[in-house]
Amino acid sequence: MGKLLICDNVTKRFGGLVAVNRVSVEVSRGELLGLIGPNGSGKTTLVNLISGVLAPDEGRVLFEGRDITKLKPHERVALGISRIFQGMRVYPYLPVYYNVELSARSVFKDAKLARSKTIWALTTTKLLAETLELPANLTPYKIKMVELARALVTNPKLVLLDEPFAGLSPEEVSEVIEIVRKLNGNGLTFIIVEHKLRYLMKIVGRVVVLNEGRKIFDGAPSEAVNNEEVSRVYFGVV
Amino acid sequence: MSKLVFAKPSKIKKVRKLLPSLAVVAIYLALPIMGLSGFWIDVLTRVNIFLLITLSLDLYSGTTLYLNLGVPFTVGASAYAIALLNRYLGIPVEYAILPSAAISAVLSFAIFIPSLRVRGAYFSILSLLLPIILAGLVTSQPFSLYLGGEGGISYPPLFFSYARTLPARERLFFLSASYFYISAAVAIVAYVICYKVAYSDFGFMMRSIGQDELLAEASGIDTFRVKLVGFTASSFLSAVAGALYAAMRPPVTADVFIPANTLVPSLTAVILGGMGTVVGPAIANHLTLITYEVLWGVLGRWRIILYMCLLIVLVLLRPQGFVFYLYLRLKRAVSTKISRLFEGA
Repeated sequence: MGKLLICDNVTKRFGGLVAVNRVSVEVSRGELLGLIGPNGSGKTTLVNLISGVLAPDEGRVLFEGRDITKLKPHERVALGISRIFQGMRVYPYLPVYYNVELSARSVFKDAKLARSKTIWALTTTKLLAETLELPANLTPYKIKMVELARALVTNPKLVLLDEPFAGLSPEEVSEVIEIVRKLNGNGLTFIIVEHKLRYLMKIVGRVVVLNEGRKIFDGAPSEAVNNEEVSRVYFGVV
Repeated sequence: MSKLVFAKPSKIKKVRKLLPSLAVVAIYLALPIMGLSGFWIDVLTRVNIFLLITLSLDLYSGTTLYLNLGVPFTVGASAYAIALLNRYLGIPVEYAILPSAAISAVLSFAIFIPSLRVRGAYFSILSLLLPIILAGLVTSQPFSLYLGGEGGISYPPLFFSYARTLPARERLFFLSASYFYISAAVAIVAYVICYKVAYSDFGFMMRSIGQDELLAEASGIDTFRVKLVGFTASSFLSAVAGALYAAMRPPVTADVFIPANTLVPSLTAVILGGMGTVVGPAIANHLTLITYEVLWGVLGRWRIILYMCLLIVLVLLRPQGFVFYLYLRLKRAVSTKISRLFEGA
Protein backbone atom coordinates (compact mmCIF):
# COMPACT_ATOMS: atom_id res chain seq x y z
CA MET A 1 0.00 0.00 0.00
CA GLY A 2 1.36 3.46 -0.93
CA LYS A 3 2.42 5.91 1.74
CA LEU A 4 -0.20 8.48 2.58
CA LEU A 5 2.16 10.95 4.23
CA ILE A 6 5.90 11.37 4.02
CA CYS A 7 7.81 13.90 6.08
CA ASP A 8 11.20 14.00 4.41
CA ASN A 9 13.98 15.41 6.60
CA VAL A 10 11.87 18.31 7.84
CA THR A 11 13.53 20.95 9.98
CA LYS A 12 11.98 23.89 11.79
CA ARG A 13 13.94 26.52 13.63
CA PHE A 14 12.68 29.29 15.92
CA GLY A 15 15.63 31.67 16.10
CA GLY A 16 18.47 29.63 17.60
CA LEU A 17 16.19 26.78 18.72
CA VAL A 18 15.84 23.81 16.41
CA ALA A 19 12.32 22.60 17.27
CA VAL A 20 12.28 19.82 14.65
CA ASN A 21 15.61 18.55 13.41
CA ARG A 22 15.73 16.55 10.14
CA VAL A 23 12.80 14.34 11.07
CA SER A 24 11.55 11.79 8.56
CA VAL A 25 8.27 9.98 9.15
CA GLU A 26 6.22 7.84 6.80
CA VAL A 27 2.56 7.05 7.43
CA SER A 28 0.61 4.39 5.55
CA ARG A 29 -3.08 4.54 4.68
CA GLY A 30 -5.29 3.29 7.49
CA GLU A 31 -2.48 3.48 10.03
CA LEU A 32 -2.91 4.66 13.60
CA LEU A 33 0.36 6.30 14.56
CA GLY A 34 1.30 7.62 18.00
CA LEU A 35 3.63 10.59 18.25
CA ILE A 36 5.18 10.88 21.70
CA GLY A 37 8.03 12.59 23.47
CA PRO A 38 8.76 14.81 26.45
CA ASN A 39 7.52 18.39 26.60
CA GLY A 40 9.30 20.58 24.05
CA SER A 41 10.41 17.59 21.98
CA GLY A 42 8.80 19.01 18.80
CA LYS A 43 5.60 16.95 18.56
CA THR A 44 3.21 19.87 18.10
CA THR A 45 5.68 21.62 15.80
CA LEU A 46 5.73 18.52 13.61
CA VAL A 47 1.92 18.46 13.58
CA ASN A 48 1.98 22.14 12.61
CA LEU A 49 4.38 21.36 9.77
CA ILE A 50 2.12 18.59 8.50
CA SER A 51 -1.06 20.69 8.75
CA GLY A 52 0.59 23.74 7.19
CA VAL A 53 0.30 26.06 10.18
CA LEU A 54 4.10 26.31 10.01
CA ALA A 55 6.37 26.03 6.97
CA PRO A 56 9.54 23.95 7.32
CA ASP A 57 12.93 25.63 6.93
CA GLU A 58 14.25 22.49 5.28
CA GLY A 59 12.81 19.23 3.99
CA ARG A 60 9.53 18.34 2.29
CA VAL A 61 6.09 17.12 3.23
CA LEU A 62 4.45 14.77 0.72
CA PHE A 63 0.79 13.77 0.84
CA GLU A 64 -0.39 11.00 -1.49
CA GLY A 65 2.86 11.49 -3.39
CA ARG A 66 2.29 15.22 -3.90
CA ASP A 67 4.64 17.82 -2.49
CA ILE A 68 2.48 19.95 -0.17
CA THR A 69 5.32 21.77 1.58
CA LYS A 70 4.24 25.18 0.30
CA LEU A 71 0.49 24.69 0.57
CA LYS A 72 -1.50 26.73 3.09
CA PRO A 73 -3.50 25.05 5.87
CA HIS A 74 -6.86 25.45 4.11
CA GLU A 75 -5.45 23.93 0.92
CA ARG A 76 -4.24 20.92 2.90
CA VAL A 77 -7.68 20.54 4.46
CA ALA A 78 -9.14 20.38 0.96
CA LEU A 79 -6.65 17.63 0.09
CA GLY A 80 -7.69 15.59 3.13
CA ILE A 81 -5.57 16.61 6.13
CA SER A 82 -7.45 17.85 9.17
CA ARG A 83 -6.45 18.37 12.75
CA ILE A 84 -7.53 19.21 16.24
CA PHE A 85 -5.40 21.55 18.31
CA GLN A 86 -3.78 21.06 21.68
CA GLY A 87 -6.18 22.36 24.36
CA MET A 88 -9.76 23.38 23.63
CA ARG A 89 -10.03 25.37 20.42
CA VAL A 90 -13.49 26.16 19.11
CA TYR A 91 -15.32 29.30 17.96
CA PRO A 92 -16.65 30.51 21.33
CA TYR A 93 -19.59 32.57 20.01
CA LEU A 94 -20.88 30.19 17.36
CA PRO A 95 -23.29 27.33 18.15
CA VAL A 96 -21.99 23.79 17.84
CA TYR A 97 -23.71 23.36 14.48
CA TYR A 98 -21.87 26.30 12.89
CA ASN A 99 -18.60 25.33 14.54
CA VAL A 100 -18.80 22.17 12.46
CA GLU A 101 -20.72 23.30 9.38
CA LEU A 102 -18.31 26.14 8.54
CA SER A 103 -15.52 23.65 7.90
CA ALA A 104 -17.84 21.58 5.72
CA ARG A 105 -18.84 24.66 3.71
CA SER A 106 -15.22 25.58 3.15
CA VAL A 107 -14.59 22.24 1.44
CA PHE A 108 -17.94 21.31 -0.12
CA LYS A 109 -19.40 23.91 -2.47
CA ASP A 110 -22.76 22.09 -2.44
CA ALA A 111 -24.68 23.37 0.59
CA LYS A 112 -26.83 20.23 0.85
CA LEU A 113 -23.78 17.99 0.87
CA ALA A 114 -22.16 20.21 3.51
CA ARG A 115 -25.27 19.92 5.67
CA SER A 116 -25.49 16.15 5.36
CA LYS A 117 -21.76 15.84 6.18
CA THR A 118 -22.31 18.07 9.20
CA ILE A 119 -25.18 15.92 10.43
CA TRP A 120 -23.04 12.81 9.90
CA ALA A 121 -20.12 14.31 11.86
CA LEU A 122 -22.43 15.43 14.67
CA THR A 123 -24.02 11.97 14.79
CA THR A 124 -20.63 10.23 14.85
CA THR A 125 -19.49 12.39 17.76
CA LYS A 126 -22.88 12.12 19.53
CA LEU A 127 -23.50 15.86 19.46
CA LEU A 128 -26.94 16.01 17.85
CA ALA A 129 -28.56 17.03 21.13
CA GLU A 130 -26.19 20.00 21.47
CA THR A 131 -26.32 21.48 17.94
CA LEU A 132 -27.72 24.82 19.07
CA GLU A 133 -25.59 25.16 22.22
CA LEU A 134 -22.70 27.56 22.52
CA PRO A 135 -19.37 25.97 23.50
CA ALA A 136 -19.45 27.82 26.84
CA ASN A 137 -22.37 25.57 27.87
CA LEU A 138 -20.55 22.34 27.05
CA THR A 139 -18.35 20.03 29.13
CA PRO A 140 -14.66 19.66 28.13
CA TYR A 141 -15.50 16.25 26.69
CA LYS A 142 -18.25 17.67 24.49
CA ILE A 143 -15.94 20.47 23.34
CA LYS A 144 -13.40 17.81 22.35
CA MET A 145 -16.20 16.15 20.39
CA VAL A 146 -16.97 19.45 18.63
CA GLU A 147 -13.31 19.65 17.63
CA LEU A 148 -13.36 16.07 16.42
CA ALA A 149 -16.59 16.64 14.48
CA ARG A 150 -15.03 19.72 12.88
CA ALA A 151 -12.00 17.65 11.86
CA LEU A 152 -14.13 14.84 10.46
CA VAL A 153 -16.64 16.91 8.53
CA THR A 154 -14.22 17.80 5.72
CA ASN A 155 -13.98 14.15 4.64
CA PRO A 156 -10.32 13.78 5.65
CA LYS A 157 -7.91 10.99 4.78
CA LEU A 158 -5.56 11.89 7.61
CA VAL A 159 -6.56 13.30 11.00
CA LEU A 160 -3.99 14.82 13.35
CA LEU A 161 -5.09 14.68 16.99
CA ASP A 162 -2.99 16.81 19.33
CA GLU A 163 -3.55 15.58 22.89
CA PRO A 164 -7.14 14.40 22.42
CA PHE A 165 -7.32 12.82 25.89
CA ALA A 166 -6.13 15.87 27.84
CA GLY A 167 -8.58 16.95 30.54
CA LEU A 168 -10.89 13.97 30.06
CA SER A 169 -11.97 11.35 32.60
CA PRO A 170 -11.10 7.65 31.97
CA GLU A 171 -14.68 6.99 30.81
CA GLU A 172 -14.54 9.90 28.38
CA VAL A 173 -11.15 8.78 27.08
CA SER A 174 -12.67 5.34 26.43
CA GLU A 175 -15.45 6.94 24.40
CA VAL A 176 -12.93 8.93 22.33
CA ILE A 177 -10.92 5.74 21.77
CA GLU A 178 -14.07 3.91 20.68
CA ILE A 179 -14.83 6.60 18.06
CA VAL A 180 -11.22 6.69 16.82
CA ARG A 181 -11.09 2.89 16.54
CA LYS A 182 -14.37 2.81 14.63
CA LEU A 183 -13.21 5.48 12.16
CA ASN A 184 -9.81 3.82 11.81
CA GLY A 185 -11.61 0.56 11.13
CA ASN A 186 -13.29 2.32 8.20
CA GLY A 187 -9.87 3.21 6.79
CA LEU A 188 -9.25 6.67 8.24
CA THR A 189 -5.61 7.38 9.13
CA PHE A 190 -4.70 9.02 12.44
CA ILE A 191 -1.61 10.57 13.96
CA ILE A 192 -2.15 11.00 17.68
CA VAL A 193 0.06 13.16 19.89
CA GLU A 194 -0.57 12.18 23.50
CA HIS A 195 1.02 12.10 26.93
CA LYS A 196 -1.42 9.57 28.41
CA LEU A 197 0.58 6.59 27.20
CA ARG A 198 -1.44 3.88 28.94
CA TYR A 199 -4.36 4.76 26.68
CA LEU A 200 -2.36 5.61 23.58
CA MET A 201 -0.29 2.44 23.55
CA LYS A 202 -3.48 0.34 23.53
CA ILE A 203 -4.76 1.77 20.26
CA VAL A 204 -1.78 2.70 18.10
CA GLY A 205 0.01 0.24 15.86
CA ARG A 206 3.25 2.21 15.77
CA VAL A 207 4.87 5.00 17.72
CA VAL A 208 7.36 7.66 16.75
CA VAL A 209 9.31 9.13 19.66
CA LEU A 210 10.82 12.61 19.46
CA ASN A 211 13.36 14.16 21.78
CA GLU A 212 14.79 17.66 21.45
CA GLY A 213 13.48 17.84 17.90
CA ARG A 214 15.07 14.57 16.75
CA LYS A 215 13.41 11.25 16.03
CA ILE A 216 14.84 8.70 18.43
CA PHE A 217 12.49 5.78 17.86
CA ASP A 218 10.08 4.48 15.24
CA GLY A 219 8.45 1.10 15.82
CA ALA A 220 5.91 -0.99 17.69
CA PRO A 221 4.63 0.33 21.06
CA SER A 222 5.90 -2.75 22.92
CA GLU A 223 9.41 -2.17 21.53
CA ALA A 224 9.28 1.51 22.50
CA VAL A 225 8.69 0.64 26.13
CA ASN A 226 11.76 -1.62 26.13
CA ASN A 227 13.97 0.78 24.15
CA GLU A 228 16.83 2.10 26.27
CA GLU A 229 16.96 5.64 24.85
CA VAL A 230 13.18 6.05 24.95
CA SER A 231 13.12 4.84 28.54
CA ARG A 232 15.85 7.28 29.48
CA VAL A 233 14.48 10.42 27.88
CA TYR A 234 10.79 9.79 28.23
CA PHE A 235 10.12 7.48 31.12
CA GLY A 236 13.01 8.84 33.18
CA VAL A 237 14.60 5.39 33.64
CA VAL A 238 18.38 5.67 33.99
CA MET B 1 -33.00 17.27 16.06
CA SER B 2 -32.06 17.84 12.44
CA LYS B 3 -35.64 18.97 11.89
CA LEU B 4 -35.15 21.49 14.64
CA VAL B 5 -32.10 22.94 12.89
CA PHE B 6 -33.58 23.14 9.43
CA ALA B 7 -37.24 23.79 10.23
CA LYS B 8 -38.29 26.86 8.24
CA PRO B 9 -41.08 29.14 9.44
CA SER B 10 -44.15 29.28 7.21
CA LYS B 11 -44.63 32.26 4.85
CA ILE B 12 -47.47 33.66 6.98
CA LYS B 13 -45.26 33.54 10.07
CA LYS B 14 -42.44 35.22 8.14
CA VAL B 15 -44.70 38.08 7.00
CA ARG B 16 -46.15 38.36 10.51
CA LYS B 17 -42.62 38.62 11.89
CA LEU B 18 -41.74 41.35 9.40
CA LEU B 19 -44.87 43.42 10.05
CA PRO B 20 -43.50 45.61 12.86
CA SER B 21 -40.29 46.36 10.93
CA LEU B 22 -42.24 47.17 7.75
CA ALA B 23 -44.53 49.49 9.71
CA VAL B 24 -41.56 51.37 11.17
CA VAL B 25 -39.97 51.72 7.71
CA ALA B 26 -43.29 52.91 6.21
CA ILE B 27 -43.71 55.60 8.92
CA TYR B 28 -40.09 56.65 8.47
CA LEU B 29 -40.54 57.02 4.71
CA ALA B 30 -43.76 58.99 5.19
CA LEU B 31 -42.10 61.59 7.44
CA PRO B 32 -41.26 64.17 4.69
CA ILE B 33 -44.84 64.17 3.36
CA MET B 34 -46.22 64.33 6.91
CA GLY B 35 -44.84 67.85 7.30
CA LEU B 36 -41.40 67.23 8.78
CA SER B 37 -39.31 70.41 8.58
CA GLY B 38 -36.59 70.80 5.96
CA PHE B 39 -33.94 70.83 8.68
CA TRP B 40 -35.01 67.43 9.99
CA ILE B 41 -35.36 65.97 6.51
CA ASP B 42 -31.73 67.01 5.93
CA VAL B 43 -30.71 65.47 9.25
CA LEU B 44 -32.40 62.17 8.34
CA THR B 45 -30.73 62.21 4.92
CA ARG B 46 -27.34 62.52 6.61
CA VAL B 47 -28.32 59.75 9.04
CA ASN B 48 -29.28 57.50 6.09
CA ILE B 49 -25.91 58.10 4.47
CA PHE B 50 -24.11 57.41 7.75
CA LEU B 51 -26.05 54.16 7.92
CA LEU B 52 -24.09 53.01 4.86
CA ILE B 53 -20.81 53.69 6.66
CA THR B 54 -22.11 52.00 9.80
CA LEU B 55 -23.19 48.92 7.83
CA SER B 56 -19.86 48.91 6.02
CA LEU B 57 -17.98 48.92 9.34
CA ASP B 58 -20.27 46.34 10.88
CA LEU B 59 -20.08 44.01 7.89
CA TYR B 60 -16.29 43.80 7.96
CA SER B 61 -14.99 45.00 11.33
CA GLY B 62 -18.05 43.80 13.28
CA THR B 63 -17.62 40.23 12.06
CA THR B 64 -13.87 39.75 11.47
CA LEU B 65 -12.93 42.11 14.35
CA TYR B 66 -10.34 43.70 12.08
CA LEU B 67 -11.01 47.32 12.95
CA ASN B 68 -10.93 49.25 9.68
CA LEU B 69 -9.98 52.80 10.61
CA GLY B 70 -9.40 53.60 6.96
CA VAL B 71 -13.09 54.26 6.27
CA PRO B 72 -12.45 58.04 5.91
CA PHE B 73 -9.99 57.22 3.13
CA THR B 74 -12.65 55.32 1.16
CA VAL B 75 -15.38 57.89 1.86
CA GLY B 76 -13.07 60.78 1.00
CA ALA B 77 -11.70 59.16 -2.13
CA SER B 78 -15.18 58.69 -3.60
CA ALA B 79 -16.22 62.21 -2.58
CA TYR B 80 -13.17 63.68 -4.32
CA ALA B 81 -13.72 61.37 -7.31
CA ILE B 82 -17.21 62.91 -7.78
CA ALA B 83 -15.78 66.41 -7.59
CA LEU B 84 -12.87 65.67 -9.93
CA LEU B 85 -15.02 63.83 -12.50
CA ASN B 86 -17.31 66.86 -12.52
CA ARG B 87 -14.63 69.52 -12.62
CA TYR B 88 -12.15 68.00 -15.08
CA LEU B 89 -14.35 65.73 -17.22
CA GLY B 90 -17.61 67.63 -16.93
CA ILE B 91 -19.55 64.54 -15.80
CA PRO B 92 -22.72 65.62 -13.92
CA VAL B 93 -22.84 64.25 -10.35
CA GLU B 94 -25.97 62.23 -11.23
CA TYR B 95 -23.83 60.05 -13.51
CA ALA B 96 -20.67 60.20 -11.42
CA ILE B 97 -21.98 58.54 -8.24
CA LEU B 98 -21.49 54.89 -9.19
CA PRO B 99 -18.20 55.39 -11.12
CA SER B 100 -16.82 57.36 -8.15
CA ALA B 101 -17.85 54.65 -5.71
CA ALA B 102 -16.23 52.03 -7.97
CA ILE B 103 -13.02 54.07 -8.30
CA SER B 104 -12.80 54.49 -4.53
CA ALA B 105 -13.53 50.80 -3.84
CA VAL B 106 -10.83 49.74 -6.33
CA LEU B 107 -8.38 52.25 -4.80
CA SER B 108 -9.11 50.97 -1.29
CA PHE B 109 -8.77 47.40 -2.48
CA ALA B 110 -5.39 48.12 -4.12
CA ILE B 111 -4.02 50.13 -1.21
CA PHE B 112 -5.28 47.98 1.64
CA ILE B 113 -4.46 44.60 0.11
CA PRO B 114 -0.99 44.42 1.74
CA SER B 115 -2.47 45.30 5.13
CA LEU B 116 -4.97 42.41 4.87
CA ARG B 117 -2.02 40.04 5.19
CA VAL B 118 -1.09 41.33 8.64
CA ARG B 119 -3.06 40.22 11.67
CA GLY B 120 -4.62 42.00 14.59
CA ALA B 121 -3.91 45.61 15.51
CA TYR B 122 -1.39 46.12 12.70
CA PHE B 123 -4.23 46.27 10.18
CA SER B 124 -5.95 49.02 12.17
CA ILE B 125 -2.74 51.03 12.50
CA LEU B 126 -2.04 50.80 8.77
CA SER B 127 -5.62 51.68 7.88
CA LEU B 128 -5.58 54.72 10.18
CA LEU B 129 -2.51 56.22 8.51
CA LEU B 130 -3.85 56.36 4.97
CA PRO B 131 -6.63 58.96 5.45
CA ILE B 132 -4.16 61.20 7.31
CA ILE B 133 -1.69 60.98 4.42
CA LEU B 134 -4.43 61.75 1.90
CA ALA B 135 -5.75 64.73 3.90
CA GLY B 136 -2.18 66.08 3.95
CA LEU B 137 -1.79 65.60 0.20
CA VAL B 138 -5.09 67.33 -0.62
CA THR B 139 -4.10 70.48 1.27
CA SER B 140 -0.43 70.58 0.21
CA GLN B 141 1.09 71.95 -2.98
CA PRO B 142 1.22 70.96 -5.77
CA PHE B 143 -1.84 68.70 -5.24
CA SER B 144 -3.87 71.47 -3.59
CA LEU B 145 -3.83 73.37 -6.90
CA TYR B 146 -5.84 70.57 -8.51
CA LEU B 147 -7.77 69.37 -5.46
CA GLY B 148 -9.02 72.71 -4.20
CA GLY B 149 -6.82 73.00 -1.11
CA GLU B 150 -8.52 74.00 2.17
CA GLY B 151 -11.55 75.42 0.38
CA GLY B 152 -12.27 72.15 -1.45
CA ILE B 153 -13.95 71.72 -4.80
CA SER B 154 -17.40 73.10 -5.53
CA TYR B 155 -19.90 71.90 -8.17
CA PRO B 156 -23.67 71.83 -8.74
CA PRO B 157 -25.32 69.29 -6.40
CA LEU B 158 -27.49 66.34 -7.39
CA PHE B 159 -30.65 67.28 -9.42
CA PHE B 160 -29.70 70.97 -9.25
CA SER B 161 -30.28 71.58 -12.96
CA TYR B 162 -33.85 70.22 -12.65
CA ALA B 163 -34.52 72.00 -9.34
CA ARG B 164 -33.67 75.32 -10.98
CA THR B 165 -36.68 74.91 -13.26
CA LEU B 166 -39.04 74.69 -10.25
CA PRO B 167 -40.62 77.66 -8.45
CA ALA B 168 -38.34 78.94 -5.67
CA ARG B 169 -40.55 77.76 -2.75
CA GLU B 170 -40.75 74.20 -4.16
CA ARG B 171 -37.07 74.01 -4.98
CA LEU B 172 -35.73 73.40 -1.48
CA PHE B 173 -38.42 70.87 -0.59
CA PHE B 174 -37.80 69.00 -3.84
CA LEU B 175 -34.07 68.77 -3.20
CA SER B 176 -34.48 67.80 0.48
CA ALA B 177 -37.19 65.21 -0.20
CA SER B 178 -35.47 63.66 -3.21
CA TYR B 179 -32.17 63.40 -1.29
CA PHE B 180 -33.99 61.82 1.61
CA TYR B 181 -35.75 59.21 -0.55
CA ILE B 182 -32.63 58.36 -2.55
CA SER B 183 -30.52 57.97 0.57
CA ALA B 184 -33.28 55.97 2.29
CA ALA B 185 -33.71 53.64 -0.72
CA VAL B 186 -29.95 53.00 -0.94
CA ALA B 187 -29.76 52.50 2.83
CA ILE B 188 -32.65 49.99 2.83
CA VAL B 189 -31.15 47.98 -0.04
CA ALA B 190 -27.73 48.07 1.65
CA TYR B 191 -29.27 46.98 4.96
CA VAL B 192 -31.07 43.98 3.41
CA ILE B 193 -27.89 42.89 1.55
CA CYS B 194 -25.70 43.31 4.65
CA TYR B 195 -28.16 41.38 6.79
CA LYS B 196 -28.30 38.52 4.27
CA VAL B 197 -24.50 38.43 3.95
CA ALA B 198 -23.80 38.70 7.68
CA TYR B 199 -26.04 35.72 8.44
CA SER B 200 -24.98 33.64 5.43
CA ASP B 201 -22.27 30.98 5.41
CA PHE B 202 -19.87 33.65 4.15
CA GLY B 203 -20.86 35.90 7.06
CA PHE B 204 -20.20 33.09 9.51
CA MET B 205 -16.81 32.53 7.89
CA MET B 206 -16.02 36.19 8.56
CA ARG B 207 -17.16 35.72 12.17
CA SER B 208 -14.94 32.64 12.51
CA ILE B 209 -11.95 34.81 11.56
CA GLY B 210 -12.91 37.25 14.30
CA GLN B 211 -13.16 34.47 16.86
CA ASP B 212 -10.05 32.44 15.99
CA GLU B 213 -8.29 33.10 12.71
CA LEU B 214 -5.75 30.28 13.06
CA LEU B 215 -8.52 27.80 13.79
CA ALA B 216 -10.48 29.09 10.80
CA GLU B 217 -7.48 28.65 8.51
CA ALA B 218 -6.75 25.17 9.88
CA SER B 219 -10.42 24.23 9.48
CA GLY B 220 -10.27 24.77 5.75
CA ILE B 221 -11.37 28.39 5.43
CA ASP B 222 -9.34 30.49 3.00
CA THR B 223 -9.14 33.36 5.44
CA PHE B 224 -7.29 35.73 3.11
CA ARG B 225 -9.93 35.35 0.38
CA VAL B 226 -12.77 35.81 2.88
CA LYS B 227 -11.12 38.96 4.26
CA LEU B 228 -10.48 40.25 0.76
CA VAL B 229 -14.07 39.77 -0.44
CA GLY B 230 -15.52 41.10 2.83
CA PHE B 231 -13.25 44.12 2.81
CA THR B 232 -14.00 44.97 -0.83
CA ALA B 233 -17.78 44.72 -0.29
CA SER B 234 -17.49 46.82 2.85
CA SER B 235 -15.32 49.41 1.05
CA PHE B 236 -17.86 49.68 -1.75
CA LEU B 237 -20.57 50.56 0.80
CA SER B 238 -18.38 53.28 2.34
CA ALA B 239 -17.55 54.51 -1.13
CA VAL B 240 -21.24 54.77 -2.06
CA ALA B 241 -21.79 56.75 1.16
CA GLY B 242 -18.97 59.13 0.25
CA ALA B 243 -20.23 59.57 -3.31
CA LEU B 244 -23.84 60.18 -2.20
CA TYR B 245 -22.80 62.65 0.47
CA ALA B 246 -20.57 64.55 -1.93
CA ALA B 247 -23.28 64.58 -4.62
CA MET B 248 -25.78 66.12 -2.19
CA ARG B 249 -23.52 68.40 -0.14
CA PRO B 250 -20.89 70.27 -2.16
CA PRO B 251 -18.18 71.45 -1.75
CA VAL B 252 -15.89 68.52 -0.98
CA THR B 253 -13.12 69.49 1.44
CA ALA B 254 -10.31 67.67 3.24
CA ASP B 255 -12.58 67.54 6.32
CA VAL B 256 -14.01 64.35 4.88
CA PHE B 257 -10.75 62.56 5.74
CA ILE B 258 -10.95 63.50 9.42
CA PRO B 259 -11.98 60.40 11.42
CA ALA B 260 -14.02 62.50 13.89
CA ASN B 261 -16.29 63.54 11.02
CA THR B 262 -16.54 60.35 9.01
CA LEU B 263 -15.62 57.44 11.25
CA VAL B 264 -16.44 58.15 14.90
CA PRO B 265 -20.28 58.41 14.58
CA SER B 266 -20.49 55.07 12.76
CA LEU B 267 -17.90 53.36 14.94
CA THR B 268 -19.88 54.42 18.00
CA ALA B 269 -23.07 53.06 16.46
CA VAL B 270 -21.41 49.73 15.69
CA ILE B 271 -20.11 49.36 19.25
CA LEU B 272 -23.31 50.47 20.97
CA GLY B 273 -25.44 48.45 18.56
CA GLY B 274 -23.60 45.17 19.08
CA MET B 275 -20.83 44.30 16.66
CA GLY B 276 -21.75 42.02 13.79
CA THR B 277 -25.47 42.02 14.51
CA VAL B 278 -26.37 44.46 11.65
CA VAL B 279 -29.77 45.28 13.20
CA GLY B 280 -28.25 46.73 16.37
CA PRO B 281 -25.74 49.07 14.66
CA ALA B 282 -28.42 50.18 12.16
CA ILE B 283 -30.80 51.20 14.97
CA ALA B 284 -27.94 52.69 17.02
CA ASN B 285 -26.87 54.72 13.97
CA HIS B 286 -30.26 56.43 13.85
CA LEU B 287 -30.63 56.76 17.63
CA THR B 288 -27.20 58.29 18.25
CA LEU B 289 -27.16 60.69 15.30
CA ILE B 290 -30.73 61.93 15.86
CA THR B 291 -30.07 62.32 19.60
CA TYR B 292 -26.97 64.33 18.72
CA GLU B 293 -29.08 66.76 16.69
CA VAL B 294 -31.79 66.98 19.37
CA LEU B 295 -29.13 67.85 21.96
CA TRP B 296 -28.08 70.82 19.82
CA GLY B 297 -31.33 72.60 20.61
CA VAL B 298 -31.01 71.85 24.33
CA LEU B 299 -27.31 72.20 25.06
CA GLY B 300 -25.77 74.11 22.17
CA ARG B 301 -22.02 73.54 21.94
CA TRP B 302 -22.01 71.61 25.23
CA ARG B 303 -23.68 68.76 23.40
CA ILE B 304 -20.34 67.44 22.08
CA ILE B 305 -18.85 67.12 25.56
CA LEU B 306 -21.99 65.62 27.10
CA TYR B 307 -22.60 63.31 24.17
CA MET B 308 -19.05 61.97 24.15
CA CYS B 309 -19.08 61.48 27.95
CA LEU B 310 -22.38 59.59 27.62
CA LEU B 311 -20.91 57.36 24.94
CA ILE B 312 -17.82 56.66 27.05
CA VAL B 313 -20.03 55.60 29.97
CA LEU B 314 -22.19 53.37 27.75
CA VAL B 315 -19.17 51.74 26.11
CA LEU B 316 -17.54 51.13 29.50
CA LEU B 317 -20.72 49.72 31.03
CA ARG B 318 -21.56 47.45 28.14
CA PRO B 319 -18.72 47.02 25.66
CA GLN B 320 -20.64 44.33 23.79
CA GLY B 321 -23.35 46.88 22.97
CA PHE B 322 -26.91 47.03 24.15
CA VAL B 323 -29.16 48.19 21.31
CA PHE B 324 -29.37 44.74 19.72
CA TYR B 325 -30.46 43.17 23.00
CA LEU B 326 -33.07 45.87 23.58
CA TYR B 327 -34.27 45.28 20.02
CA LEU B 328 -34.62 41.54 20.64
CA ARG B 329 -36.65 42.16 23.79
CA LEU B 330 -38.90 44.66 22.05
CA LYS B 331 -39.31 42.39 19.04
CA ARG B 332 -40.30 39.46 21.24
CA ALA B 333 -42.89 41.57 23.06
CA VAL B 334 -44.36 42.97 19.82
CA SER B 335 -44.40 39.53 18.12
CA THR B 336 -46.27 38.03 21.07
CA LYS B 337 -48.88 40.79 20.90
CA ILE B 338 -49.32 40.39 17.13
CA SER B 339 -49.61 36.60 17.45
CA ARG B 340 -52.31 37.07 20.08
CA LEU B 341 -54.13 39.52 17.80
CA PHE B 342 -54.10 37.01 14.93
CA GLU B 343 -55.16 34.15 17.19
CA GLY B 344 -57.99 36.29 18.54
CA ALA B 345 -59.14 37.05 14.98
